[in-house]
Amino acid sequence: MNARKKFHISIAFLSVLWLVIALISIFTGTYEIGPIDAILNPDELSKTIFLNIRIPRVLMATIAGGTLALSGAALQALFRNPLASPFTLGISGGASLGALIAIRLGLGIGILGFSMVSISAFIFSILTMLFVYSVSKVGGVVATGRLLLAGVVANFLYSAIVMFIQFFSNFTESLQTMRWIMGSLDIVGFDTVWKTLIFAVPGCLILLVSTKEMNLFGLGDDVAASLGVNVRRLEKRIYFGTSLAAGSVISVTGPIGFVGLIIPHILRMTLGVDNRIILPCSFLLGASFLTAADTVSRTVISPVEIPVGIITAALGGVFFLWLLIKTKKEVII
Amino acid sequence: MEKIIECGNIVFSYNGTEVLKGIDFSVSPGEMVGILGANGAGKSTLLKILSGLLQPQSGETLYRNKELSKLSRKELSKRLAYIPQDPVFAFPFTVTETVLMGRAPYIGRFEFERERDLEIAERAMKTVGITPLKDRLISQVSAGERQLASLARALVQEPEIMILDEPATFLDVRHRTEIMKILIKLKEERGISIVAATHDIFAALYYFEEIKILKDGIIFAEGKTETVVTEDILSSAYGIKVTVKKDNGRVFVFPSD
Repeated sequence: MNARKKFHISIAFLSVLWLVIALISIFTGTYEIGPIDAILNPDELSKTIFLNIRIPRVLMATIAGGTLALSGAALQALFRNPLASPFTLGISGGASLGALIAIRLGLGIGILGFSMVSISAFIFSILTMLFVYSVSKVGGVVATGRLLLAGVVANFLYSAIVMFIQFFSNFTESLQTMRWIMGSLDIVGFDTVWKTLIFAVPGCLILLVSTKEMNLFGLGDDVAASLGVNVRRLEKRIYFGTSLAAGSVISVTGPIGFVGLIIPHILRMTLGVDNRIILPCSFLLGASFLTAADTVSRTVISPVEIPVGIITAALGGVFFLWLLIKTKKEVII
Repeated sequence: MEKIIECGNIVFSYNGTEVLKGIDFSVSPGEMVGILGANGAGKSTLLKILSGLLQPQSGETLYRNKELSKLSRKELSKRLAYIPQDPVFAFPFTVTETVLMGRAPYIGRFEFERERDLEIAERAMKTVGITPLKDRLISQVSAGERQLASLARALVQEPEIMILDEPATFLDVRHRTEIMKILIKLKEERGISIVAATHDIFAALYYFEEIKILKDGIIFAEGKTETVVTEDILSSAYGIKVTVKKDNGRVFVFPSD
């Protein structure tokens, strides 16, 4: 099958998958509303729940899951390494520390409607990416060992600082931070959705228009340049795009782990490694995955909601364990 | 005759260390030039400058009488192909997909390869003899086969000049010979100019008509193979005493001690 055909079929299939999951998610929850009632004779309460809770939440899960998976795939292209993701690079950890600092300092007032917690998380996530990238690059090439080590070091450092600050926090601040660090899509109304979109959309678009060059970039700086790619500019573009996209999502939802790692990985196992296919498909599958995970998180022990970050992290852990056992004989990483 | 690449007085330094100290170099259409020299003599740096991948601190590089640095990367990539010594394959694309990447200069940002591109790729794979590997992953073929895939990738760029940095260094004698034969074929049948750095003195003597020897950042000796390959020149270039023997029109070089 040629690349174009593979692209069209996978996009169509994954779009339908997302639509089905989104519809199921909208009609599933603690408060039961049947599809027919909801459309034909909705009462005030159902209307409120639909418009203010369910639909925004499904949209948020879609944007967050899609953006995180897409950013993960792009970071893997940038680092030329399938283990790169917002989570493994310490970007999520950075965002957590940023959020905590803002919570602890009681920075309530935001700028242009963005809360200081989000802004601070955003800044820290970008700084972390810069740090990890510059530390892991030796002689123009990202060394895998250094990359993972830098990510681990960043994560440890951040969690040490987070625990230190937590130790001196009062109960309310402590709870607020814990909830943030667990990662959640618990939003009300469309306000947060729009605010995330403002950054996530341009971020994702920047990455999506660079997929062809990402493929060439995988052949090394020199070959990519000899095939017409402006390598330095491409690197900056991927940087900027992922910071914008992943940063904006993580700063709102908190660190939702492993989506950026698992989703591109699953797709590569089935569709090959062409970034022109992997990136857009990552968005769709990531959106579907997080919407499904979120539906589980708010219904499995209803009416209690488990933060969705716990679900994805648990699934991610099991998935990687399985991957490690399965690929024990063939070295892929 | 118009030269393809012509450069004069190229000076280049890495972090303050001068690697090239004034190099004049030119390649004519259909010419096959071998570059010899010890490790660190500046071969790779020179090849990258000729390919437009590095900018020299001073000196001028002309591509068909136009300043190389003023040509767009994309335009140049339709005319000049570069193959590094140890190519990177970060992701396991198939061999066909890898070869198709050489079509990138001809394909728009939002386009996929057309039928024609695939035909060109298949022809290139046939030329270098890797058709049976076309559906294999690039990560699962041998180093020699990967280098052949790189060659096919360069070929689908439809270049008029190919620049190769030690294309055969890591390969066994069969693949080395194959690559050299393919290069000769490309030169003779399609008139592609070839510039290759090599450590393989035998191959250089046997296959290249024009040799340039780099030493300490300058071209230490150049000319037709017979005139350049002498005991004095090689001993001095590599810093080890060598003996050159001729037998039946073939030249042999080996260390004297």
